[in-house]
Amino acid sequence: MTTTVPPTTTAPPATAPSTGASDRARGEQRLGWMLAGPAFAVMLLVTAYPIGQAVYQSLFAYRLTDPENRRFVGLNNYGVVLSDAIWWQSIGVTVLITVITVVVELILGFLLALVMANALKSIRPVVRAAILLPYAIITVVSAFAWQFAFDLNSGFVNSWFSWIPGISADTDWFGSFGSSILVICLAEIWKTTPFISLLILAGLAQVPDVLQEAAKVDGASWWQRMWKVTIPNMKAAIMVALLFRTLDAFRVFDSIFVMTAGANGTESVSFLAYRQTIARLEVGLGSAVSVLLFIAVVLIAFGFIKGFKVDLSQARGEK
Amino acid sequence: MRRPWRSRLAAAALAVVAVGGLAACGSGESGPPVLTWYTNPDDGGQATIAQKCTAAANGRYSIAVSVLPRESSEQRQQLVRRLAANDTSIDIMSLDPPYIPEYAQAGFLAPIPPDVAARVTEGTVQSAIDGATWDGKLVTVPFWANTQLLWYKKSAAAAAGIDMSQPVTWDQLIQAAEKANTNIAAQGRRAESLTVWFNALISSAGGAVIAQNSTDPTQIQLGLDSPAGQRAAQVMSDFAKSGREGAAFSTAGEDESVAAFEAGTAGWMVNWPFVWSKAKSGVEGGTLQQSVVDDYGWAIYPRVDADKPAAPPYGGINLGVGAFSRHPDLAYEATECITSTQNQKEYFLTNGNPASRSSVFSDPEVLADFPMAPTIEESLQLAAPRPQTPYYSEVSGSIQREYHPPASVSPATGADATALIQAVLSGRQLL
Amino acid sequence: MSAKERNWWIVAGVVIVLYALFPIAWIVSLSFKAPADIANGQFLPTVFTWANYSQILTGDAAALFLPALRNSFGICLIATFLACILSMFAAYAIARLDFKGKKLILSTALAVAIFPVISIVTPLFNLWRLIGLYDTWPGLIIPYLSLTLPLSIWTMSAFFREIPWEMEQAAQVDGATSWQAFRKVIVPLAAPGVFTTAILAFFLAWNDFVYGISLTSTSAARPVPAALGLFSGASQFEDPTGATAAAAVVVTIPVIILVLIFQRRIVSGLTNGAVKG
Repeated sequence: MTTTVPPTTTAPPATAPSTGASDRARGEQRLGWMLAGPAFAVMLLVTAYPIGQAVYQSLFAYRLTDPENRRFVGLNNYGVVLSDAIWWQSIGVTVLITVITVVVELILGFLLALVMANALKSIRPVVRAAILLPYAIITVVSAFAWQFAFDLNSGFVNSWFSWIPGISADTDWFGSFGSSILVICLAEIWKTTPFISLLILAGLAQVPDVLQEAAKVDGASWWQRMWKVTIPNMKAAIMVALLFRTLDAFRVFDSIFVMTAGANGTESVSFLAYRQTIARLEVGLGSAVSVLLFIAVVLIAFGFIKGFKVDLSQARGEK
Repeated sequence: MRRPWRSRLAAAALAVVAVGGLAACGSGESGPPVLTWYTNPDDGGQATIAQKCTAAANGRYSIAVSVLPRESSEQRQQLVRRLAANDTSIDIMSLDPPYIPEYAQAGFLAPIPPDVAARVTEGTVQSAIDGATWDGKLVTVPFWANTQLLWYKKSAAAAAGIDMSQPVTWDQLIQAAEKANTNIAAQGRRAESLTVWFNALISSAGGAVIAQNSTDPTQIQLGLDSPAGQRAAQVMSDFAKSGREGAAFSTAGEDESVAAFEAGTAGWMVNWPFVWSKAKSGVEGGTLQQSVVDDYGWAIYPRVDADKPAAPPYGGINLGVGAFSRHPDLAYEATECITSTQNQKEYFLTNGNPASRSSVFSDPEVLADFPMAPTIEESLQLAAPRPQTPYYSEVSGSIQREYHPPASVSPATGADATALIQAVLSGRQLL
Repeated sequence: MSAKERNWWIVAGVVIVLYALFPIAWIVSLSFKAPADIANGQFLPTVFTWANYSQILTGDAAALFLPALRNSFGICLIATFLACILSMFAAYAIARLDFKGKKLILSTALAVAIFPVISIVTPLFNLWRLIGLYDTWPGLIIPYLSLTLPLSIWTMSAFFREIPWEMEQAAQVDGATSWQAFRKVIVPLAAPGVFTTAILAFFLAWNDFVYGISLTSTSAARPVPAALGLFSGASQFEDPTGATAAAAVVVTIPVIILVLIFQRRIVSGLTNGAVKG
């Protein structure tokens, strides 16, 4: 999955004058809403309305094939979900995948960005084009590629890596929890690291050369410069990348659907919601899971913004 | 793959789709009604039948096929989702039998005219009729009937010194595989095939997944924690831990089983008869030695205990007519054409899917191509249907969750699964 | 930079290229394997065959694949187009006008972007059933806007902020009508930003899977990612590995072409605002 990338710095203010006759201000106000209104309305329509609907439906016991027995049950569905071990297990799986992928992607993405920043002009376009491919490729396609590579019948991984202890021609990667998660994480990491690395690359470019030079003159080693100058100066870029990737990873669905379909306890929260509503047609229960997932995402975003002081107004290019 | 027919069938499929597409554009205008037939994926046989029946209808109707996903649980999702929206475009559906009660109970199937019911059940094997029935009434038209056989390599059986013409138990099979130093291919993947296997085991042990049926989900009594259920669980776990289950057993489905059997790593295999068509087309395509296929043997599905008969899995496809179809009468007429003895026979011959009508199994052409046809018919007589309930998807999903991976199955699994199913059916737990 | 150091960066660059291309090369290689060759345990096929491609393009999987390809192109292009039009106005207003609610619109876009798709799909599925949008093109185009709109508004307003709008007035002073000034001065300046946004939005829509499998059920609207999981072997018990791989390659070709031609733009779009201080 991919996410929107916010511009991470303050852009020069718009040219429109902020003072003037109140008539003019009112006119501008109206024009602004006339232009931006439709997009705003569509966004509300496709998200706020459905989530409101989901909240409403989550209060009913409602199975699609049995509409006569639809009945109001209050918060009972939430009780069922929250007291069910499988909900907590899927939360655990989702958090595990999120933490592993985001940490690895951050480190790997940083390395990729360093290479791109230092690569010679001649090979930079090649590296850049190559790195964009995983970003642009369909997640499901990437999931299939990784699944087929590790699959016992169609794959080559077992025969290539049989020299590693523990891997043989019969190693069944999707037969246990740990190895399934490993392959899912590999696929996710491969696909989304380029995105992180591009954001970090942009952040690297933001670090003022003057500071670097000054540190050099002071005799700071490469590592010292990295820790004391480079990273602190690109904290905002890293945090924004981290926030978006975390929220994205938390919604993981496609790879799990393709690779394990939830076997061996690899269900993510999104997968659990999908199964209740779309597969089982238990609309009430499924809506409750969806609403809880939504709340979890909001909490994470809130936690990031408050806890890590990610300045989103800065990220939005607003003052 | 089955090249020779394939290209021909592909052309046929395209033609049907083209006809369907053109006709759909003109729907609402004049011209014969187009019946949409939702089919499970096959080797193009249903598309060919659709074309033939369109021609035979003399312009009164035409049939367009629309292909459903591969897993029967996903086929059900797609159809039920549309039917719940009162979709009028669903005329004919190829339905996997265990899901039929759900359709019938929800009122998604148009009632069968009595004369049609009488004609389509005449000479049909009993398990297929049972699979097409819900609440004592025939609700779908039997089309083809599937059952799993026990496939073996004659060489492996000889090496093990086991007489495959006699009934065998799972324990005997494991011992034979030990002796012949080979594996037994079965389906341990977390999918419908796991329920298929478990249901065969519990039925052969003399029990049933559902002991007392009901249309009220909270009133369904389960038989998983019974002695038969315990015995089935034990056979399952013994097999999964036998060391003869082969590599990646917990992710193996039907196709992985065939691969192991063809490659020679498995000397025995429980599987549907498509393996025979696959083997023959492998020889035609040059990917499989004729000598391998000559080594194929077949027998009735294994027993759980020597003194109780086998209960082979029953599957196949029945045809349902959508309750919201604009032309239920024409649709039922079409199902009669589709399931004619001649079409069942040709479908068997070209796609390897066994007929539901008894007479087909003794047809000389069928016998020439499918020497195991009599064994299939015998197996169909013994076959045990999967639990018939409108909540089949929940029951099967719970079984898959609790009994997977098969090596983890213990005497407590029956009680756990019972508790899970009851909680899921009464809305107290997620699945 | 010393020669030794330079060589190391080149090696690192090559490693990155291999990293990025390897899984793609693998699925391409797999798509050229014959059914009997799939299980050869090797990376490359023993014999190259086009059989998988003919199966999905002209063979018995064509009835599944070709409509899906048409749906994917049609739906994604329309969703991208609509998102671009809507966000063009919104971004202009955000970049140029001073009005209350600017912050609200941008925050909303941000919130929509982080929204869990699965939470929207459940109620949409229900609503679409009731109003007849289930399994139709509009039934996918509308939810795709929830993916493409936020990104488009963000990216485009970042681009528009950098346009020197004074030039419009300058042109008017020089005697051009306001329409001429807009067409001759502003449109050429804004076009690259709009175009880049369109590419990114298209990628997002093209990538969708959850909406695709949940809100469709036939070839009438089913997009390719959803169709990928539906291929079948000769019988429904046989695995369709080759056909799936071939279809995966076909849907990847458009994104590869876009990436190769527009890589510089895509990078600037993705990181816009971050590069320039």
